[in-house]
Amino acid sequence: MKKEKFLLIVVLIIIWQVLSLLKVFPPYKLPSPVDVVRGFGDLLIAGTPPGYLLHKHALYSLYRVLWGYGLACLLSIPLGLLMGWSKSLHTMLSTLVDIVRPIPPLAWIPIAILWFGIGMKSAAFIIFLGAFPPILLSTISGVNSINPRLIEAAKTLHAGEKDIFFKVLLPGSIPSIFTGMRIGIGIAWMTLVAAEFTGVKEGYGLGYMIMTSRDLQLPGEIIAGMLVIGVIGLIIDKGIRIAEAKIIKWN
Amino acid sequence: MKKIMLSLTALFLLTTSAFADPVRVGYLQSDIHQLPFWVALEKGFFEKEGVTVTVAGVFKAGPELMSGFSAGVLDMGYVGAAPTITAVANKAADVVMLAQVNTEGSALIVGKDSPVKNIKDLAGKTVAIPGFSTVQDALFRKAVTVQGLSLDRQKTIVLKPPEMIGALRSGQIDAFIAWEPFPAKAVSMDTGRYLLYSRDIWKDHPCCVLVAGREYLKKNEDQAKKIVRAHMQAVAYIKKNPRESMAVAVKYTGMDEKTIQLAMDNVKYTHILSVAGIKEYTDFLRNLKYIKNDDQSFADRIMLPDFTEKSVK
Repeated sequence: MKKEKFLLIVVLIIIWQVLSLLKVFPPYKLPSPVDVVRGFGDLLIAGTPPGYLLHKHALYSLYRVLWGYGLACLLSIPLGLLMGWSKSLHTMLSTLVDIVRPIPPLAWIPIAILWFGIGMKSAAFIIFLGAFPPILLSTISGVNSINPRLIEAAKTLHAGEKDIFFKVLLPGSIPSIFTGMRIGIGIAWMTLVAAEFTGVKEGYGLGYMIMTSRDLQLPGEIIAGMLVIGVIGLIIDKGIRIAEAKIIKWN
Repeated sequence: MKKIMLSLTALFLLTTSAFADPVRVGYLQSDIHQLPFWVALEKGFFEKEGVTVTVAGVFKAGPELMSGFSAGVLDMGYVGAAPTITAVANKAADVVMLAQVNTEGSALIVGKDSPVKNIKDLAGKTVAIPGFSTVQDALFRKAVTVQGLSLDRQKTIVLKPPEMIGALRSGQIDAFIAWEPFPAKAVSMDTGRYLLYSRDIWKDHPCCVLVAGREYLKKNEDQAKKIVRAHMQAVAYIKKNPRESMAVAVKYTGMDEKTIQLAMDNVKYTHILSVAGIKEYTDFLRNLKYIKNDDQSFADRIMLPDFTEKSVK
């Protein structure tokens, strides 16, 4: 672990604590690092709202992301490969995708609540909408970026369509697919937190937790919650990178 | 030349003093408790007192309005007593209560065909509240604990009142507690029925109050008094002119007359601060661990019960 990575963070925290001690900003606008640590302790031990502990909030959020994101990958990767491969399919579907794509997932929330209610399904749906386009587009571009000579070479070796698809296109697209997946999980995680702001039936979720900290006017907890979300996002991203490295090696 | 400059300066000073900074007021969206503010706006009570008001924010719930004070965008606000106490106790805002706006005026609603007959039947079921530390949150927990039921078995979730009716209708929640006119709307839409009026949970409980930022009040006490006078006139007006007041309520909530009539039957408007009731909220919020403030004199410092009297002298 390089020391320089953490140097900047440590310096920023020190500056932050000094600013708080000097009361440059009122504590309810910028809680000090100490307040944030205290807030984190409260989230972990007492829970916000009282009795609802941090780890359960995190687990429910992760569960929702798993569903929405998993579904997005399952649908967008095969579809992306097919659309990259077949010009006619691409022409047919791309307009639809281009119309739906710019609509922010959060704009779907009222409809999602009408269709799926305020539970797991509607949150998963919003996340799905956020993650689907980047994975799809990266997959398509991954297919398109394969050197056409490889395909020609495969054809001269009398490779059938199926072989070209599974042995040339798929492996060649993997780097792009993983890029799309990493973008997708980032968007999925961000969308989840905001989607939970509107209410979750289960009573647990990181976005919901932050909203509760806001209701109870505890800015130290709000920032602690935000940092937890950031760290979890970081861990997920690292996880995908490790999976990517393993799969590419195996390839 | 000198005469022109002099008269221009005089004119300038005259106009700027007449147009002192307008008072930035916030209120809660479609909350019929805030009717005195709407009436004062519509009937020109603020103008008659010589004060200009600008609506600086319309919020979906009390805690959000208190964030407006934290952010420095509000001078005064119509808001629930409970979120006010929470915000001040947790040092997120520094406001004082100048006058009461209403007492009672909330209700616990269950589905029209729900088998729930009383609060005991709600054990383990999902109930929606407008936000943590709202008046409705406190009322609901009071109702549960008074029955000797455990709060642990209670699943409370936060939804904004407009979403509560839809959630009840589609069976996502078993009950909701909200300010009027949302309970009345659920009933008039044939979606829900009244399980408990808030007055059944706690008779004469205080609800919304008129608050002012402490710093703002220090610098603009006269202006604040004008606002309070207009508010008192509006409260009196509502009592004497229910039909006209109802029309104002219809305009500001967008709901039909039948709903508003039902809603207004459940609300008591008054300008007299319920000092005892507000102290009781403080203790209750402390027990719920929403506020981490053990200062017993806190409740006294947050209220100015003589302000309404001072305003009319």
